[in-house]
Amino acid sequence: MNPSTEAVAEAAPSIRGRLLVLLLLPAIGILSLGTLTDYLTSAAPFRDAYDQALLDSALAIADHVGSDADGNPLLTLPPEAVSLLRTDKYDSIYFKVTTRAGRYVAGDRDLPDLAQHSAATSRGDARYRDEPIRLVSFTPQDGAGPVTITVGETLRKRDRARATILSTSLAVDLGEFGVVLAMILLGVRIAMNPLRDVEAQLEKRSPRDLSALSLAAVPVEIQSVVRTLNRLFATVRATSEAQRRFIESAAHQLRTPLTGICAQLELMSNEERDSARQQRLLAVLDAARRLARTTQQLLTLARSDEAAHLNWERLAVDLPRLVEAAVMERIAAADIAGIDLGAQLEPATVQGVQWLLAEALGNLVNNAIAYTPRGGVVTVHCGRKEGMPYLRVTDTGVGIPPAELERVTERFFRASNTRGSGSGLGLAIVHEVAQLHHARMSIDAGPGGQGTSIEILFPAPASVLPGAAAPNA
Amino acid sequence: MRVLVVEDDPLIGDAVRRGLTGGGFAADLVGTTDAARSALHAETFDLVICDIGLPKEDGLQLVRGLRKQGAAVPILMLTARDGLADRVDALDIGADDYLTKPFQIPELLARARALIRRSKAVASSELTLGLLRLELAHQRATAAGQVLELTHREWSILECLMLSAGRIVSKDRLMSAISGWDEEITPNAIEVYVSRLRNKIGDVAQVRAVRGMGYRIDEPEHRGGC
Repeated sequence: MNPSTEAVAEAAPSIRGRLLVLLLLPAIGILSLGTLTDYLTSAAPFRDAYDQALLDSALAIADHVGSDADGNPLLTLPPEAVSLLRTDKYDSIYFKVTTRAGRYVAGDRDLPDLAQHSAATSRGDARYRDEPIRLVSFTPQDGAGPVTITVGETLRKRDRARATILSTSLAVDLGEFGVVLAMILLGVRIAMNPLRDVEAQLEKRSPRDLSALSLAAVPVEIQSVVRTLNRLFATVRATSEAQRRFIESAAHQLRTPLTGICAQLELMSNEERDSARQQRLLAVLDAARRLARTTQQLLTLARSDEAAHLNWERLAVDLPRLVEAAVMERIAAADIAGIDLGAQLEPATVQGVQWLLAEALGNLVNNAIAYTPRGGVVTVHCGRKEGMPYLRVTDTGVGIPPAELERVTERFFRASNTRGSGSGLGLAIVHEVAQLHHARMSIDAGPGGQGTSIEILFPAPASVLPGAAAPNA
Repeated sequence: MRVLVVEDDPLIGDAVRRGLTGGGFAADLVGTTDAARSALHAETFDLVICDIGLPKEDGLQLVRGLRKQGAAVPILMLTARDGLADRVDALDIGADDYLTKPFQIPELLARARALIRRSKAVASSELTLGLLRLELAHQRATAAGQVLELTHREWSILECLMLSAGRIVSKDRLMSAISGWDEEITPNAIEVYVSRLRNKIGDVAQVRAVRGMGYRIDEPEHRGGC
């Protein structure tokens, strides 16, 4: 991925983010509205209840309004009762009795009057002694005489009640909001799971695995995306398969004539009595053999690609037998090169593609023989360490320069200190085949720091089996 | 020694035929399974060398047919190394050995000799490798006509090596060849027997150790003869 697409990915819209915003904002709105309504609807009954209490006081006072001898209204309430009336835990209570015309009769003289309505009772707000107060007035319609009783109280009790209502409903609503938030977060998370599954499926695939993704668990919303992806996979697969088939058939076509050419050149060089001509024939034979080997290696690479794409069946491969076969096949070449080729065999089995493992091991042994001077030693090892099967080829040859260790598994790369024949495909094949078997290939110096030691370390048998069995692994 | 070569590619066929002729065999070359069948019907061959990939009908069909008819002639298959199961198939259906392309002529000759040696041993109860000769029925070994005095175990080891002359015989196989029901043989003991055997054979044949694997017997002169 290049930097610019990374940047785009950073700023890309997030479905999760959108869902959260689209769900959370309305939820917050609705809950706030709920709190407000709760508060407003509960405020009126409270106010009415307190007003009623004031009105009760006014009624009580009205009961004690009589008339003097002149027929003027007169409050007959005893002072003890008045002080009792004025007593309240939180608020100051005021009252005033006036005639209907507005003339003062009793109580707090400067208490504001309420605008008079035709109704018997009226309520309202006012300020008195620098404090907001609530006023209720009552004008008895019956025999109590033409008076108006106004009772007022400060708002402390009401404020307390209002604060209690507000804080309670806020607490309840915040709790509800928390539950809703948790449900939304959880819901969005769960809703995103199928996407995550698809992502995980893609992530754990080998980059060379071009098989189609399973549509079974894919949500309908992204089915078309996955289908397109699968179509793309199919196209790439078809292309690489065509390329692989081309290489394979080219290699096949090349092999038969090359076999003939090599065999004929071999016979001709044997029969040739002129030593100069024989040298030329041997040089041509050497080139033809190199060509044959490279052809075989290309075929192996093409096949190993195929094995990776199509998940070839893995069978139990006995490593000692594999080593025996590899050594036997090359003992004559080692003799001619003056190299002591031997083996060290411990029992081990891997699940693998026998033919590819044989090719990989063969390439390692060929390299070791080719890059070890006359009189050197090449040993093929197999066995298990800590339960992990391994194949290892050690030689006492020229070794690989440390700076080039990284590159030797690239196709067609050849170490700078190599001479003579070699396609540069040998270690690439070993590397590919190792990867195919989930094995690790490591290159070190040989025994005593001389030469080269190349090891293929396979995973422990139990862990390779499920991978090999899974159709899309 | 008469060998029938079944190979459709003229260049390979010719090289194989020439190589065999140079190695002291009489070789006939045919290009199809039909021609091979009529040749085998008309004459007796000591060995059939057969390519698997033939036009019309492949080599495996020919081998299957021959074995079904009870033909005992040893068969060496030429196969391509491409991961197809043909090597396994070849041995399963009754071929005696296989050689993968591209091969080298000395290797082909060695395989051919080994196969013929084995089949002759069955027919004549005699095994020969150059000047070394084993009469299986009498457990008698001669080197250049001189009788070798061998112990029972030395004989068993030599017989075992000779049956696979030119190939590596594992120490395990040698051990099982000489150990009876009740005796334990150590790998070290094998080394002792082999070294005694070497002394007795002298330079008529070469018994070489392959480090970590086993032993192999060869004619001294045809090693490196190419």
